[in-house]
Amino acid sequence: MSTPEFAIVGHPNKGKSSIVSTLSEDKSVAISMVPGTTVDNRRYPMTVDGEVLYELIDTPGFQRARAALEWMQGHASSAVERPATVQRFVDEHRGDPRFSAECHLLAPILAGAGILYVVDGSRPFGEDYEAEMEILRWTGQPSLALINMIGDSDYSAEWSRALGQYFRIVRVFDALQADFDKRIQLLLAFGEIREEWRAPLAKAVQFLTDEQQRRRSLAARVIAEMLVHMITHQARRRLATGEAEALAETQTRDKLLDSYKQDLATMERHCRDEVEQIYNHGQLQRQEAQVQLLDEDLFSRQTWVLFGLTRRQLIATGALGGAAAGGIIDLAAHGTSLLLGSGLGALAGGVSAWLTADRIANIEVLGHPLGGQEVSVGPMRNINFPYVALGRALLHQRLVEQRTHANRGPLDIDGPGAAWQFSDSATRRQFEKLFAKLRKGESLQADLVDTLATLIEKQFSSRPDAGA
Amino acid sequence: MPNKKTQQSSRSAGALLADLIDLSLVLDSDQEVDLEERKRRDRAAGRRLECWRNKPVAQVRAWLHESRPKAAGNYGQQGVRVYHGLNVGLLVAGLLSGWGLASAVLYYDGQQPINIVNAVAVLVLPQILLLLLWLVAALPARLSLFRQLGTGLGFLNPGRLAGHLVGVFTSKPEQGLAMLWQSDNAPILGPATRWLLSLWSQLFAVSFNIGVLVSALFLVSFSDLAFAWSTTLVVTSETFHQLLVTLSAPWSSLLPDAVPGAELVAQSRYYRLDEGALADPAATPELAIALGQWWPFLIAAVAFYGLLPRLLTLTISWYRLRHHLGRALCKLPGAPELLARMNSPLVSTAAAEPEHAFTLAPGSAARNSAAAHYALRCPVIDWSAAGSAAGDAGDVSSALAAMGVEPLEFLRAGGRQTLEQDQQMLAALARDKPAALALLVKAWEPPMLDLLDFLRDIRQQLGEEKPLLVLLWGGAEQVSGADRETWQLTLGQLGDPNLHVESLALASRAVEKKGASQ
Repeated sequence: MSTPEFAIVGHPNKGKSSIVSTLSEDKSVAISMVPGTTVDNRRYPMTVDGEVLYELIDTPGFQRARAALEWMQGHASSAVERPATVQRFVDEHRGDPRFSAECHLLAPILAGAGILYVVDGSRPFGEDYEAEMEILRWTGQPSLALINMIGDSDYSAEWSRALGQYFRIVRVFDALQADFDKRIQLLLAFGEIREEWRAPLAKAVQFLTDEQQRRRSLAARVIAEMLVHMITHQARRRLATGEAEALAETQTRDKLLDSYKQDLATMERHCRDEVEQIYNHGQLQRQEAQVQLLDEDLFSRQTWVLFGLTRRQLIATGALGGAAAGGIIDLAAHGTSLLLGSGLGALAGGVSAWLTADRIANIEVLGHPLGGQEVSVGPMRNINFPYVALGRALLHQRLVEQRTHANRGPLDIDGPGAAWQFSDSATRRQFEKLFAKLRKGESLQADLVDTLATLIEKQFSSRPDAGA
Repeated sequence: MPNKKTQQSSRSAGALLADLIDLSLVLDSDQEVDLEERKRRDRAAGRRLECWRNKPVAQVRAWLHESRPKAAGNYGQQGVRVYHGLNVGLLVAGLLSGWGLASAVLYYDGQQPINIVNAVAVLVLPQILLLLLWLVAALPARLSLFRQLGTGLGFLNPGRLAGHLVGVFTSKPEQGLAMLWQSDNAPILGPATRWLLSLWSQLFAVSFNIGVLVSALFLVSFSDLAFAWSTTLVVTSETFHQLLVTLSAPWSSLLPDAVPGAELVAQSRYYRLDEGALADPAATPELAIALGQWWPFLIAAVAFYGLLPRLLTLTISWYRLRHHLGRALCKLPGAPELLARMNSPLVSTAAAEPEHAFTLAPGSAARNSAAAHYALRCPVIDWSAAGSAAGDAGDVSSALAAMGVEPLEFLRAGGRQTLEQDQQMLAALARDKPAALALLVKAWEPPMLDLLDFLRDIRQQLGEEKPLLVLLWGGAEQVSGADRETWQLTLGQLGDPNLHVESLALASRAVEKKGASQ
């Protein structure tokens, strides 16, 4: 059984390359307003582990259809001879610059490729299309007409009537707006033009659907990881000796807050980059606003000493050490001290730890200070923050998933009214349980990221309408 | 088939740790590699390692062993050296602590016997207490009370101290064992870190108990110890014996000699004031031998309440650490994606070859008259029935009038006309020698080579000097800027100085505006 091949043909500038770009998810397809941008055939094989399941062929648009048809009409005496006449035309004009476009586009069709004839449904039908449609009919190959809606006006009904006279199947397809399901439906429609292509195309569709599911899983995981990092993130800064007094506190705060905001922005940007890469939209230009902090006061300041212990922990450690030392006295006294040694030792250890904490902080061992003053920002405790971050990530994922590769404009994420609506309160409760754990610092559960990713993936499927 | 080296990947915690550190670095640097390249490379690796498709840990490690030579540095091995160094340090610290404590507790100078109550209180009871604390720490963190207790007691853990040491003396925390303590890694590495700390604390505890046992056996062997029991509390010998029997339950059937008998308990009671049976000079030789018989009990108590449970917790910690290190290997940022790339078919829809696109030379746009108003009486050629498309002839006529173009006649070309008809029409036109010529085209259709041929034919028939006006007709809509630009660019390729491109509908509107302002 031959591999299905489809030649995308039509007038120049009617969206052939857009359709190819959308179906092949290939941004390298040159899409230009200037006619004749495509000068050569370009093949887009759909492969699974190297096995080609079908192939799209982008072709140059017709340039001299009237002249080509006149030549063919002059060389065919009956309908039976038409396909052979088209073949003869290509054979005789191969290398002739006048009919370069016609020869290029007809060659794969004559080799057995199905015809996908593309027109712009937002512009009116005209008689100048008749010659090229007639040539395609002469090839005798199975064909399908696609009405591509490039602009806002709708002449699809007029086009359908005209195309119906030349093509058995006519479909409307918006190459710029078609989501994954519409692309899949179109591929399945390709199978309708020849019976033997149905099975390989169905197989291809299955692989593409599985791939789409994998992308969703990966995107959900990337978002889950970002949320965990964002919610638990803390920016810390240890103040150098003397800096605590010398620097105005507000100055330090401003710097640290800036750093914290930058960290969150970087996490979000990194997540968006990864999601875009997953959907083959790398290097996408984005119009986006930075995520806003919702907490007023995220600062804390504390003394840390010796191996990162806080003052409180140091006191407890000192008390324990004192109790152990006192315990030895108790042991020596065979218990006659009534554990006074332990009690007093604990008290002495705790008090001395409290009194010496600052002094210990100023000591350096092997160039490492044993303690000091530290200021920190975060983690974010505001209960709404995770939803804001999640909503932004879900909205971005949806825009990226729905975006076709023919769309070359910037991705506007924070357009007016753009917001994510959670599908139901039960889902929100499930998210809240996980977010609460993260806020409490319970991020050490191995399956937390997995659980969060699963929940996020369900949101992809629920697809509530964004507020936009 | 996987190679021999890969098949022999060690499942030891050290080897897993080394792989975890290296994988984290390799995956991090892998982000720089083009995604398509990664897809191809990892799918090829996945097919080579197909036999481990359902064993992600083994598969990821095998992938790493293939990729490791490309990764700079040897941070994994360095990290393992630190890990092993800390293991040895904790072992030595535990042995010394155990030895020291047992020596202090079992100190006997012949004056006062060793109080077995003290010995048990110091060497056995804290062990039981600490074991309970370990259980609390080992419990899943889901129970809030236990979690808080575990967090609160965490700083007492010698394993945690070892963890802090790693952080303090590591110059690049993200590239070695210290990565386990980085807060950003906590969600993925947290469980492994927790069990590493547990492993270290159990290692310390095991060596501590060994130190205690070795010290006790040393003292028993090389000195003459005398044990007794004494308490301020009102406890009869029978009650104390019963307590000891209960305490000895774990080894009573295995080591019956290590269970103190009622007689020994009664004989060993010691009061500070009357010094008990020890004060009886007649009984001293036999009693001295009997009092030394407490040691099997003490050794058994340390072994059964200290060493054996700690060996068990050490084993559990080791297995849990391995398990979580394996899990972490598959959960590191980039690892799930790597596994997906390895085990999913490589689906590609993109072009196999780069595009060879045609681009227009810059600065070649056809002229667009600034005045947009002419005083012309000339024939108008309607190309491909542009005048009747999406509008009516009346619209075109008024638009032409607004532009100052008075049609002498409407002629047809392109579309359904044959090339021969076009030529005949041009030949007839040439005979009339018009002063100028206008060509009405659909603005929304691109100028194709068919039309460019026709424009060249016009020049051939009518000469180069006559003004040729290409009028863009937008039909029911205004001519868009993009369409106008397309026409100007394409017709500019003809290099015809007398060819002008005008937008009809725009010109019409401009005239209306002009009229309104007057």
